[in-house]
Amino acid sequence: MPRPRNGRRPHPTRRTVLAAAAAGLGTALAAPLSACSPGNGGGRGAVLTFSWWGNDDRAARTEKAVRLFEREHPGVTVRVSNAEFGSYLQKLTTQAAGGGIPDVAQLDYRQISQYAGSGALLPLGGAVRDKTIRTAEMDGEFLRTGTFDDEQYALPMGRGITGYAYDSAVYGKAGIPTPRPSWTWSDWADANRRIAALGLKSPDGRTVTGSNDGGGNEDVFENWLRSRGGSLYDGQTRLGYTEDDLTEFWTFCDRLRKEGAIAAARDTTQANSTETSPMGRGLAAADYTWDAPYPGYSDLLGASTRFGPVPTAGGRAGTYFKPSMLLGVGAHTRHPEEAARLVDFLLNDQRAGDILGFTRSTPGNRAIAARVATTLTDAEREIYRYAEAMEEYGLDAPPAAPPRGDLAIQTAFKRNYERVMFGLATPRHAARELIDAANRELRP
Amino acid sequence: MTIAAKRWLPHTVAAAGLLVLLYPLAWLVATSLKPADEVVTSLDLWPGRFEWSNYTTALEGVSGVSVTRLLGNSMLIAVGAVIGNVVSCSLAAYAFARLRFRMRKAMFAFMIATLMLPHHVVLIPQYIVFNQLGMVDTYWPLVLPKFLATEAFFVFLVVQFMRGLPRELEESARIDGCGPFRTYWEIILPLSRPALITTAIFTFIWTWNDFFTQMIYLFAPENATITLALRSFVDQSSTSAFGPMFAMSVISVLPIVLFFFVFQRYLVQGMATSGLKG
Amino acid sequence: MSALSTKDPAGAARPADRRPPARARRRTREQQWPAYVFLTPWMIGAGVLTLGPMAVSLYLSFTDYNLFDPPRWIGLRNYTEMLTEDPRYWRSVGTTLLFVVVAVPLKLALALGAAMLLKNLSRGRAFYRSAFYAPSLLGASMSIALVWKALFNDGGTVADVLGAVGIPTGGWVGNPDLAVYAVVLLTVWQFGAPMVIFLAGLQQIPPDLYEASALDGAGPWRRFRSITVPMLSPVVFFNLVLETIQSFQVFTPAFAISGGDGGPADGTMFYTLYLYERGFTASHMGYAAAMAWLLLLAIGVITVILFRTSRSWVFYADEGGR
Repeated sequence: MPRPRNGRRPHPTRRTVLAAAAAGLGTALAAPLSACSPGNGGGRGAVLTFSWWGNDDRAARTEKAVRLFEREHPGVTVRVSNAEFGSYLQKLTTQAAGGGIPDVAQLDYRQISQYAGSGALLPLGGAVRDKTIRTAEMDGEFLRTGTFDDEQYALPMGRGITGYAYDSAVYGKAGIPTPRPSWTWSDWADANRRIAALGLKSPDGRTVTGSNDGGGNEDVFENWLRSRGGSLYDGQTRLGYTEDDLTEFWTFCDRLRKEGAIAAARDTTQANSTETSPMGRGLAAADYTWDAPYPGYSDLLGASTRFGPVPTAGGRAGTYFKPSMLLGVGAHTRHPEEAARLVDFLLNDQRAGDILGFTRSTPGNRAIAARVATTLTDAEREIYRYAEAMEEYGLDAPPAAPPRGDLAIQTAFKRNYERVMFGLATPRHAARELIDAANRELRP
Repeated sequence: MTIAAKRWLPHTVAAAGLLVLLYPLAWLVATSLKPADEVVTSLDLWPGRFEWSNYTTALEGVSGVSVTRLLGNSMLIAVGAVIGNVVSCSLAAYAFARLRFRMRKAMFAFMIATLMLPHHVVLIPQYIVFNQLGMVDTYWPLVLPKFLATEAFFVFLVVQFMRGLPRELEESARIDGCGPFRTYWEIILPLSRPALITTAIFTFIWTWNDFFTQMIYLFAPENATITLALRSFVDQSSTSAFGPMFAMSVISVLPIVLFFFVFQRYLVQGMATSGLKG
Repeated sequence: MSALSTKDPAGAARPADRRPPARARRRTREQQWPAYVFLTPWMIGAGVLTLGPMAVSLYLSFTDYNLFDPPRWIGLRNYTEMLTEDPRYWRSVGTTLLFVVVAVPLKLALALGAAMLLKNLSRGRAFYRSAFYAPSLLGASMSIALVWKALFNDGGTVADVLGAVGIPTGGWVGNPDLAVYAVVLLTVWQFGAPMVIFLAGLQQIPPDLYEASALDGAGPWRRFRSITVPMLSPVVFFNLVLETIQSFQVFTPAFAISGGDGGPADGTMFYTLYLYERGFTASHMGYAAAMAWLLLLAIGVITVILFRTSRSWVFYADEGGR
């Protein structure tokens, strides 16, 4: 033990050190204060804040596009900020509750109703009509995803579509034909059973199953529901499905899992990335996923990986083009004009499109998407072709943004199915709980 | 039990315990040196092939901000917080521990109660305060509260320590004509060094790791800290970022480890005496 | 050990001197304004950053507040809904209690064991002390949460080692019954702080007590029971109170390991995590505020109970002295 030293030290030393430290620190802390305070950055120019979520690649490209915008709009400075998705949601919520969101903000589909409905977003209908934000190259039905109560509040930056990453070698071995856009949920169930029956061994010695278990994934359920003519929500306020619908879906998944045709419960709950997904770990031959993360699968799992369509019910496709993210303008902005211009620039400027590429999924602007698509290779090209093929096959129009409360319902969905997986609730019981919880969240 | 066994048994147990305790840390360092495919597939602790490029990738930083800048920002906030907590907590603790005044009991009870309230519910009201003061996206919301003794834990810690100092100290100081201010500065403060050093070390570590507050209040990439950067590294969905992510993890905890090794003997001394001075 | 001989938390600041009331009153008058000067920073902070926001949160607990629209007064509805209609609330209470009941004794036992071990080391004590402390240093870091997840995943080291000795647990993190224990172990792993405090307490026990007892023929176990335990009881108490309060508020390790959702199947949905989910994910800040105030109340009650029971088992060497 070091000996306690209680003796007094000469004060000048302590005092001087403290004073110096305090002075130095004061200067340093004030630096970001003066350099970066939000709002007007002195002089004539406008300072716009622009926040978004995403990884480093997206950061570098966004930064570059924004600098180009600044060059073309002298006097406008854009301050960007990015964070990882979960943090971003919380941060934006705190900002909305505590005094206003940034001038331009990247938004999730699930946030639109909440933010628009409580006045955190600026209505953009006017800017769209006077062509400050051009929408000529965008699909009208797709634009509707950024509306609340028939007013445009946000514009989709990119579109994503669900699909099915699968190992074509295993499919060949099991004698399953290549999945076509019209294959059905029962085809899918049979395929899974046949793969499990092959008795292939995964790296940890267990039998390889047909697919991951999508029972807790609200997106899979939505595809299933839509393929049968239903929808998650009835308008922007009510649930669109019943306890019976959900019970049927969960029973379907539950049974397949118990048969060993799809991944075991513990492998589903552990999955939170491509590497930890049942397919990534060699425990399943396929994984239901979005188009954007698909290249990660083919990188990880090799050349026999393919991107196929989501099953249908009797040929009716349940998937649709969903906005991967949207851009909105904060209601408290002091520069609505410049903010709208920045939105337009990021969506419609050809050079911005070239810089941003496919970092936010397929651009919503068709001309830009087609132009950038020519530069794509391998897996990216495969998903682009997939989207084209599905569009040709025929997809229903996307719904308007889901109601507020959707975020909580989505987590409840996952949680309740986890209770089914681990035998803590029957499908019927869990479905009833989910409907109750959802109706509570949707209560006006 | 033989004498030899008696001598060696504690050492054997300690060494075995050490292996188990430090395994996760060894795992972290080892993984930070593995190539991407080994991170996922190999269970061996020792990397089959050393992938030093994980570190060069991590050192490039995040969002165009260099690692040195990120570390510097974290350091600035942590040092500011340390000074703030040491100064303000020792002032408040002195009053609570050594002075008599009206409302002392009520104020102290209130301070202890703040220890028990989950901080998430005061997050938004606090954010509104700092937003009104125009301090969002500066380091003030992270440092200013420390200068205002808002961390009850440390006030409590220092109070407990100061209460253990002998009364006679002040008696003799009074006879020498010292008022409360000189008594604080010349007698109590120097004697409280162990408790203050404990406060300093804990504040440094906690502030360094405090992802939540930094995430809420900082906006511009150039103001980001290493902890925030690590978090956005974790979000990288591609396989290739696994190694660099763990390399970044190692870089982010390195300053805490260094800080600890410099000050650890004071920490033990301070903690040991804080709650227990008899 | 006077610093620990406090009977109630509110009185902990009572200065040690006990003087005639008249002199005390004079002292109070004299020291009044200097005390307030010393307390100025604290009072500003407490007023603006603590009391204000706390009052706001108390008010919000009686409202329906979705963070976006103005709060709407609903009286006690948040409280009644929580206590009577929300099964998840009670499950989170259960999970938290399980955590407290398992993690606190385990951590304290490990800390005490390590401290006794260190005390018996003839050399290398400083080295081992630092090394045992290292987990506490890094435990709160994001990096360690990542490591923990990897170690306790299916195919991770823990499942493999246990499988090899014939206990096939599979991954802990993905199992709703075991995930909570991964969090427990992450917490217990950081036993450094109570260990250091125990060590200090052990070193203050006069060695002659042990010598006398050994002369009376007492074995190691009896010496532990009759000397170490009572002499150490104030320190045990101190650690127990602090660890209990902290464990009720456990958030970060569960948040990091479950990816924020308290999963799987609410297996790691601790009280504060549920509070966070209600407040921020589901935007029911009024409900979250009500939860926070009930937790404050519960921790307060439990702390008072701990202080009450301490009278019967905590032994103060200076009791009645001074």
